[in-house]
Amino acid sequence: MNENYIKIVLADDDEDDRLFFTEAFEELKIKTKVSTFNDGVFLMDYFNTENAVLPEVLFLDLNMPRKSGIECLKELRANKKFKDIAIAIYSTSSSEEDIENTFVLGANIYIKKPNDFKSLKKVLSDVVTLNWQYHTNGLNKDNFLLRL
Amino acid sequence: MIRKLKSKSPYFIKISFFIALAIIAIAGGITYMTTNNLSKSSNLVVETYIVNVELEQILSYLKDAETGQRGFIITNDSLYLEPYLESREKINNSFAELKELTRNNKLQQNNLRALSSLIDNRLNHFEKSSWFSVNNDLKNPKFDAVFLEGKDLMDKIRRKIGDMIDYELNELARRQEDYKTDARLTPVFLFVLILLSIGLVLLAYDRISKDIRVLKKSNEELEIFKESANQSEIISRHGNWILNMEENSYTYSDNLFRLLGEQPQSFKPELDTFMGYVHPDDVEQLEKDVEDMIENEHLPFVNYRIIQKSGNIRYFKSYGQILILSGVKKLIGTTTDVTEEIESYKLLEERNSELERNNKELSAFNHVASHDLQEPLRKIQTFLSRLIDKESENISENGQMYISRIQNAATRMRTLIDDLLQFSRTNKTEKVFETANINILLESAKQDLAEAISDSNAMITADKFPVMQVIPFQIQQLFSNLIGNSIKYQKKDTTPKIAITYQRINAIEEDKLIKPKREHYHKLTFTDNGIGFDNQYAEKIFVLFNRLHSKSDFSGTGIGLSICKKIVDNHKGYIFANGTEDKGAVFEVFLPI
Repeated sequence: MNENYIKIVLADDDEDDRLFFTEAFEELKIKTKVSTFNDGVFLMDYFNTENAVLPEVLFLDLNMPRKSGIECLKELRANKKFKDIAIAIYSTSSSEEDIENTFVLGANIYIKKPNDFKSLKKVLSDVVTLNWQYHTNGLNKDNFLLRL
Repeated sequence: MIRKLKSKSPYFIKISFFIALAIIAIAGGITYMTTNNLSKSSNLVVETYIVNVELEQILSYLKDAETGQRGFIITNDSLYLEPYLESREKINNSFAELKELTRNNKLQQNNLRALSSLIDNRLNHFEKSSWFSVNNDLKNPKFDAVFLEGKDLMDKIRRKIGDMIDYELNELARRQEDYKTDARLTPVFLFVLILLSIGLVLLAYDRISKDIRVLKKSNEELEIFKESANQSEIISRHGNWILNMEENSYTYSDNLFRLLGEQPQSFKPELDTFMGYVHPDDVEQLEKDVEDMIENEHLPFVNYRIIQKSGNIRYFKSYGQILILSGVKKLIGTTTDVTEEIESYKLLEERNSELERNNKELSAFNHVASHDLQEPLRKIQTFLSRLIDKESENISENGQMYISRIQNAATRMRTLIDDLLQFSRTNKTEKVFETANINILLESAKQDLAEAISDSNAMITADKFPVMQVIPFQIQQLFSNLIGNSIKYQKKDTTPKIAITYQRINAIEEDKLIKPKREHYHKLTFTDNGIGFDNQYAEKIFVLFNRLHSKSDFSGTGIGLSICKKIVDNHKGYIFANGTEDKGAVFEVFLPI
């Protein structure tokens, strides 16, 4: 594996969203390697294989069939093996309840899916280039939700 | 009134009667004593006369003896001695009598003894002078001397007897004087006593009759009370019952029969009969309750159902407490027909659960609006932006115009959804009041609107606000909606100016505040120089989805001010709008202190 690439994973059951996501990274001038999974079960199955290549940043949709984003988040944060993965919640909802829950469960950032492609590109580039060390140290509920 | 009667009057009456009785007893005693004294003194009078008669008798016997003796001396015929001899015996008899009569009087006894020796002396002289006659020695000078001595003795006896009679008469006079005083005083005293007792009896009578009047009055009051209790039983649907614990017998008030659907006092109140009315499902429990009631001498609130003969099921609630009347334990109970309450409670419960259901549906709808509606919309918008970015060269001008129209519609739809969501969030009752720094909330609101403010170059001035007890995020929302509104409805080619002023006011000084709950209010006034509005819409402006302008002139959903109203309502405050067309609008917000 080439160390210059930032490894990014998205788990989202929505085909359109996966399309926007990969297209956005294609247009961005950041060296990334994006893989997508269709739901939580596929994601966790892959992560739990021995040779799994773990990403730097995981984008997690909340509302997925079979295994929801919340369940994945719980499993990931319960396992030391995944402690270095930055988890970005990537959801249509921006309800207080979801934000509160995922914050408490140990997600690193919360992104509301933007309404247009330009914003999407900006958000994704911001997140990927974020200094995670710095962000996680000063993490509180106010800067947890990424505002544009 | 009844208590007073109980405590005071009987004592008074009792005491009066006892005093009157005592007086009558004393009067009786005095009368008896007086009568006794009277008969005693009349006896004494008789005795005095007898003594005097006896004394006179003795004198007369002595005279007889003297006459007889003189006859004998002259004639020397013993015939004349007969009265002399007889008188001696008679004198002795009289003496014995006198001794007996004067046994209690030492003086008279002494007198009697002196008299007796005088008489003896005199009789001796008779013997002596008789001796001279028998011996025909009358010429003897000694005879003359003896005869003279006899005369002297006779005179002495006469004087002595006279003294004794005088003494007796004096005694009699003295006794009569005493008796007279007694006889004069006693009737007066008796009369006074009798008057006194009559007075007391009259007083007692007066008291008794007064008490009877009071009793009568309280009886009437009781009667009235009973009747009003009767009426209140009917009105409030309750009945009373009394369980005599000693006799284990029940009495029911009229209305208890009515509650059971029966004519008043139409059957003998008994536990078994009553149980016959109780709903079969409740009989066991109620029987247990009654057992406990008799054992504990108390009936806590019990609920059960009864079935009237007509088949109606009624809900009853009973309560009872022990009362000891003249030593007899009685359980006084009340039974109420609570059917209406229970039914209305059930209805309320039903409505409540219906409301809860509606609320749940509403929040489910909110969820649909926030997620499921937003998702396709977001995709439409994103695809549109992709079309414009990537494919605009391939689309005709007309096509591009259509795309731009679609974009506008989609944006509008998003605003609508967002506003609706916000409105429903404001509706939610998470009303956590905190002491908040309003100045900071205003700054946050300005940050929310940063883009609009900088785009329009709006000038916002604000007073310094004190801290207030509010729901902070809602107040921030209120600020941002009102300021946003002012910026949105600005006049063309005019810089928006928004002034926010603060005042602490007394509720009574503001006529607008209808039935204010607090004395003091915070008053925040938002004044702008925008397009204003016709004041006839001042109230309508807060109604949900109400818009005063066409969509093409000003974007807006008609939700923003409804949210403001909702927020102010949540704070139990007031909001008023005042507009002048082409001059501007004034919004006044009153928040309770």
